[in-house]
Amino acid sequence: MRDYAELWEHAPSGHLLLDDDGLITAANATFTDWTGHTAAALVGTPFPKLLPIGDRVLYTTHSLPQLMVSGRIAEASVQVVGPDGSRHPALLSATRVEGADGPETRVALVDAQQRRRYEEELLAARRRAEESEARISQAEAELAELVHHDELTGLLNRPGLLRALRGRLGAARTDRGDGAVPTVLFVDLDGFKTVNDALGHASGDELLQVVARRIRCASRASADVARFAGDEFVVLDDVTTSGAARVAERLLDLLAEPVVLQGVEVVVTGSVGICAADVPVAEPDATEIAELVLRRADHAMYRAKAQGTGRWTAHHPGDSDPGADRLLLLEQLRSAIREGELRVHYQPRQHLPTGRLSGVEALVRWQHPTRGLLQPAAFIAAAEQSGIIRELGAWVLTEAVEQAVRWDTAGGPAGLQTAVNLSARQLADPDLVPLVARTLARAGLPASRLVLEITETALMSDPDAALRSLQELKALGVLLAVDDFGTGFSSFTYLKRFPVDELQIDRSFVTGMTTDAGDHAIVASCVHLAHAMGLVAVAEGVETAAERDALRALGADQAQGYFFSRPVPAAEVLPG
Amino acid sequence: MDAAMRPTQVLPGPVAERLHVTSTGDPDGPVLLLAHGFGCDQGMWDGVLPHVSADHRVVRYDLMGYGRSDVSAWDPVRYSSLDAHAEDILAICAELDLHDVTLVAHSVSTMMALLAAVREPERFRQVFLVAASPYFLEDPADGYDGGFSAADMAEVAGALDSNYFTWAEAMAPVIMGTPDVPGNGARLTASFCRVDPDVARQLLVIMFTTDFRPLLPRVTTPTVIVQSRADALVPPSVGDHLRAHLTGSTLVQLEAVGHCPHISAPEETAAAIRAHLLPRR
Repeated sequence: MRDYAELWEHAPSGHLLLDDDGLITAANATFTDWTGHTAAALVGTPFPKLLPIGDRVLYTTHSLPQLMVSGRIAEASVQVVGPDGSRHPALLSATRVEGADGPETRVALVDAQQRRRYEEELLAARRRAEESEARISQAEAELAELVHHDELTGLLNRPGLLRALRGRLGAARTDRGDGAVPTVLFVDLDGFKTVNDALGHASGDELLQVVARRIRCASRASADVARFAGDEFVVLDDVTTSGAARVAERLLDLLAEPVVLQGVEVVVTGSVGICAADVPVAEPDATEIAELVLRRADHAMYRAKAQGTGRWTAHHPGDSDPGADRLLLLEQLRSAIREGELRVHYQPRQHLPTGRLSGVEALVRWQHPTRGLLQPAAFIAAAEQSGIIRELGAWVLTEAVEQAVRWDTAGGPAGLQTAVNLSARQLADPDLVPLVARTLARAGLPASRLVLEITETALMSDPDAALRSLQELKALGVLLAVDDFGTGFSSFTYLKRFPVDELQIDRSFVTGMTTDAGDHAIVASCVHLAHAMGLVAVAEGVETAAERDALRALGADQAQGYFFSRPVPAAEVLPG
Repeated sequence: MDAAMRPTQVLPGPVAERLHVTSTGDPDGPVLLLAHGFGCDQGMWDGVLPHVSADHRVVRYDLMGYGRSDVSAWDPVRYSSLDAHAEDILAICAELDLHDVTLVAHSVSTMMALLAAVREPERFRQVFLVAASPYFLEDPADGYDGGFSAADMAEVAGALDSNYFTWAEAMAPVIMGTPDVPGNGARLTASFCRVDPDVARQLLVIMFTTDFRPLLPRVTTPTVIVQSRADALVPPSVGDHLRAHLTGSTLVQLEAVGHCPHISAPEETAAAIRAHLLPRR
């Protein structure tokens, strides 16, 4: 039989045998030669004693339990301490098996000089990577700061201000007892444009920088100061009502000091509007309220300016000024859209040669909970100025298109056209064309059954953008009408330029056409013009049989007005 | 049915899933909640299990970052103190509606167990502390000997880093069938023994830097201190310190050697626990 003991003694790895108490029972020559320990000294020694303290803790807390539970450990990186204190990096593997005299742990230790160094380098690299990650996120934070500041003045910019305001609103849930609440002071310069025009942009910029410094000086250290836009500045601070007034006075005093630009002494004054956010604000509402508070401060500033330069006014809850009313109206309108208080009424349109129903114009109404049924005049202008018109317009469009399909289903007249009004803002909205396409597709209404009415004013406010939108709408197959023709620019040029299908003659001319020769002439030329350009001529506001007859005589194609029907709910358009 | 052969059930529920909570034994028996220490997972209690499961409902779990716990739920900030781990114990008790619990904890889990018992004393009947230490360092101020010097700390961190890659590899969920483990005969131990290196590092750092001695007088739950001989981490004097500062505690000295007597001498450890179990309140 071969002497396996010899093989074991000089195996390539160091080997140790341990009993179940972790005491060394045998060590091979490879191990003793390598570490300098003697076999005699090793026997009876607890194995963890050969490890430096760190490895010992690790071995005891992690390797040993793993060995006991799973029966093995593979390649733990340890150091073996020699009798002289020298350390020998090693990879430790072990198995726990049933030996002749009970359980036995067989330990193999491989010299791992290289491996340990390699792992240490890798680890150092990992730690460096983590540090550089930390640096990157710091750089990102710095970038975020840049994004929130105005380059010219170093003050917060609009996004930065909104963030600060949202933060203060969100934090202002508990009354601190001193009456201080987040307050916006909206500062607008009077006469900035004059400086810019007279002395050039560089001087204008310099002026803004001077003003920025002065506003910073006039504000308390706790304030956030922003250049909101152009020559508009905002001071945001937690102050009391009287505190806000003091800040406003200080701001106006400092602004009134002359500034010397290019040797010219310039006096710029300002107007200040104040609005305090004195209601606790829930986190999700902070964004909306922030905008609201800024708008109110802005409106207060305009009221101040209206009284003369160098003044301030504060917004008071319940102010009956038009600005505040408008804001209240808008808030109610938002909720009206959500709560389903809007209605669409339809005014029938007659095909004049045959007297048959040719189409309807969809007109929005607001079933106001306290004020009753409101006409568009009561709310459309405010909606148009605020941007709510997009939401409102989309709702009306969807409702009207779906109603057209409902009439079809109910056996209404074939090819009945539905006309819907578009505002200037809607026309400028890049989402308009997709919205129209989506709405038609979803309802399943052919595009040619929809007429979109656009006023002259809307067309001319941004003719290039309007042209693009109209061309795309035209491509969908939708019909386009010019509304209120004759009241605006009445220009042939745009009639030629825009791809319109209908001309709607304004009611003011129609009403006078049977009594006033001039109005009659205008209506006549509108009809001729329309026909000359291949457009359908539609008359609005027909109230008498005489008007209808006169329009027929002029060859107008369609007409609508009280003479035929007032705008009515969908159910009354087609009786039965 | 032999209690040891009763199926081990992995329990449903968000906390149970996060910490891989399992239950076995007599469903109507008093609750024995086993909390494992450093190194592996709830499998560390396998040897003790057959000796307690016949007449106990035995609930086990994996420490956050260990075994089959959901390491994605590990938040280094939240887990930067043992409080989060103690909250895990309480969350298990709450989700499983466990009451009058006998909590058996090993090593690092002993301090989590005491934190939990101080938070919700009404929840626990008794706490067993196996190989416990409230403070690993020596304190020259009052002569306390935790076994380690401050200088040893740096070495421990270094050793952890050296094994980072070994551990990172061990994270792969490898089931190790070990029919050759002594005494296990036909039993197949499916052990994960997974350790997330970052978690392990943090837990060891907490243990070596936190002095839990002020916690001891606040414990009102009856405690049993189970100490083994020649524990590389816990000198005998630590057992005496615990005995002196835990009101109404009992100190049990085992013949077993090393930091993990429940693995190396499960019968003796189980017998010591059984001998000191309190009756139902």
